Amino acid sequence: MSTDTETRGTLGRLRASPFLADLLTNRLAVVGLTIIFSMAAVAIYARVTYDLGALASSQLGTEVADRSPPGWLGSAAANQQLFGTDAAARDIYKRCLYGAWLALKFGTITVGLSTTVGVGLGIIAAYYGDVTDNVIMRTMDVLLAFPPLLLALALVAIFPRDLGLWRAVVALVLVYTPRFARVVRGAALKVLEDEYVDATVALGATDPRVLIRHILPNTLAPITVQSTLNFGLAIIDLAALSFLGFGAQAGTPSWGLMLSRGVENGLLTGEWWLSFFPGLFLAITVLGFNLLGDGMRDALDPRMREAVD
Amino acid sequence: MTQRGEPPRLRQYVAARARLVGSGLVVGLLLGGLGMAGWTLYTGDARSSEATVFALGALVFGFGLLGWSGSILAGRGIEAMQEHMDTRSNWTERDSRRAMARLCGSGGGIMIGTSVVAALL
Amino acid sequence: MNWTQFLFRLIEPVVPPRFVIKRLLLLIPVLFGVASVVFAILHLAPGDPAIIIAGQRASAEQLEQIRVELGLRRPLWEQYLSFLWDAARFDFGQSYSISRGNSVRSVISDRLPITLELAIYGQAAGILLGLPLGIISAVKQDSLTDHVTRIGALTGISVPIFWSGPLLILLFSTYLDVFPTSGRIASTLFLPDTWTLFGRELPLTGMITVDTILLGNTEAFLSAAHHLFLPAVVIGVYSTALISRMMRSSMLEVIRQDYIRTARAKGQGAKITLMKHGFRNALIPVVTVIGIQFGTLLGGAVLTETVFGINGMGLTIVTAIGVSDYPVVQGTVLTFALLFTLVNLFVDVTYSYLDPRIQQ
Repeated sequence: MSTDTETRGTLGRLRASPFLADLLTNRLAVVGLTIIFSMAAVAIYARVTYDLGALASSQLGTEVADRSPPGWLGSAAANQQLFGTDAAARDIYKRCLYGAWLALKFGTITVGLSTTVGVGLGIIAAYYGDVTDNVIMRTMDVLLAFPPLLLALALVAIFPRDLGLWRAVVALVLVYTPRFARVVRGAALKVLEDEYVDATVALGATDPRVLIRHILPNTLAPITVQSTLNFGLAIIDLAALSFLGFGAQAGTPSWGLMLSRGVENGLLTGEWWLSFFPGLFLAITVLGFNLLGDGMRDALDPRMREAVD
Repeated sequence: MTQRGEPPRLRQYVAARARLVGSGLVVGLLLGGLGMAGWTLYTGDARSSEATVFALGALVFGFGLLGWSGSILAGRGIEAMQEHMDTRSNWTERDSRRAMARLCGSGGGIMIGTSVVAALL
Repeated sequence: MNWTQFLFRLIEPVVPPRFVIKRLLLLIPVLFGVASVVFAILHLAPGDPAIIIAGQRASAEQLEQIRVELGLRRPLWEQYLSFLWDAARFDFGQSYSISRGNSVRSVISDRLPITLELAIYGQAAGILLGLPLGIISAVKQDSLTDHVTRIGALTGISVPIFWSGPLLILLFSTYLDVFPTSGRIASTLFLPDTWTLFGRELPLTGMITVDTILLGNTEAFLSAAHHLFLPAVVIGVYSTALISRMMRSSMLEVIRQDYIRTARAKGQGAKITLMKHGFRNALIPVVTVIGIQFGTLLGGAVLTETVFGINGMGLTIVTAIGVSDYPVVQGTVLTFALLFTLVNLFVDVTYSYLDPRIQQ
């Protein structure tokens, strides 16, 4: 009996709901989706084509000039680099493309971990209620009250330095988890009000079974929206921590680190390509996720689309 | 009438709060004492394990204290924000304060428990 | 209620002083709470303070001596209590490295006004631009204006401060040379330490645009404003984008509510209805969120100060964490927490002006 209701419950709901249709008619969301897919393609291309070691190590002393402007600008035929080279004569174009891989990879890890932990805590809090609920959610509330970047900085200070980018990832997971827990708890409470959950419990379903087979699928929509919106944030915050010197290790082609080097080396001398291109990639990617997230929220919450007049 | 009623009410007031913090304290004492003893057996260095376990206790205590004052200070803001963000939650300042008072108690308990065991070792 | 009444309401003391005092008293547990957390972080963080002070090559005896001097050999509870006592007096000792030999208190009193000034201008720009933009966007939902504002706001929060900052510097400072790249005032100008009011010497605030006005030095004020302009724009764009997005959604929610429709059905003009009922109700959630958003602004200040090389609290905390200058980290973290709490307290009071039902 339960399998039947489930198919209708999850797949059926998805198909019947105007969610996907709404999302696809939302032009901005489609633009966002296109940006994300292109960036993912770029990331995979870079991961397959380029060698991280070569991108990370200094190219000074080779025939490539350092800090040379983008190839299509300079009259000198000496360089062919599309985005120019940085202070260590590395090709900024290749580094930017590889940066997409790093950003998406670590963004996925950060969001994935905080979603998993947050969803787990949120569902448990909603299902068991009472003291469990209070202890979990109140702790989440306190974490939520801290300014995100400042909390991440304080956490980064605790972790050992040799963790590199993982230090930033762990700090951000702790910063983001409460948001997921809260959204999921809210959605789970709504599901719990439905009678069929009571019915399955009455039929002898065990706690984990109810949690995983009945509550989780029904909270997927809000989780997805929250994850998408947080993906953009995670990429920016990871880059910010790298920019401040608490993320990627020196030489890594991460956008944040490239930007920080660009500010250090090229700001006063006018070598704009050092900071322009990594930042452009970063901003476009984040915009993609924000557009999609906004579109999804609108599609999920029809009230927001209702015309006023 | 009110004057005769007052002393027991005050006692009740204190007792309710003491029970809340006290229950946390007992849990904390146990956690701190056991944690300290276990950690020392594991690492073999009493001083560093005292520092670690005590610091964890201070973390819990500080967290609880922040949460407690935060829920009074920003309770309304949080309630408004949750309503605004459309997440169904029956968050109340009272629940939050009580949960945080418990945390405070257990944090304090961990610190005391650790210190006592450290002094005995 | 019309606008004059609204303004009167703002001046009228509707918030009882008891309410404010109770809220202010809560700062004490906040302070001890943050101090406890900072104490925990210090003892859990990797790195030995003695080595940081004395350097890697110090002998074992030297290190031991420093540990005794720092009190690291006393029992933990003693260290904890003295730490709390120090925090209560705002005394964190001396900086290990970034401002060696100076007390943390003097480092903070030098740098806090710098960050405050930046944050105030950024927040002011955000409120002054963000509220109207959000309202227009909501009233003209799905119009071209709405779309432009929304995409603008979305771009505003997608573009990281540490990219827009460098680009503005490159364009306006390096290439066009209309704004200075860094610093707070022209290097040829020197300001005295005090100013005089009715023959009495008073200390300056440390906020350079305020100080130059107090001193009556127009040239210095213009130079200071000139230096502050780009950083304030960078931070202001971000908070404008955030506030306009919140205002839009809050306003839409209010517009959809029945009483606005009723008022309109009764034949009142759309604009009047909106101003009368919509704005104030829509503002209530936005005000609370502005307080919480102030934290984001402080995070933005950290990045902005790093980009523009402004030596405020943000750059200080980043450098201090980088070199493990723990006393400075403690002091700055505690200051940030108190600042954040104070702003939210202020928001809380504003909130009760807007919605007097709430006062207990």
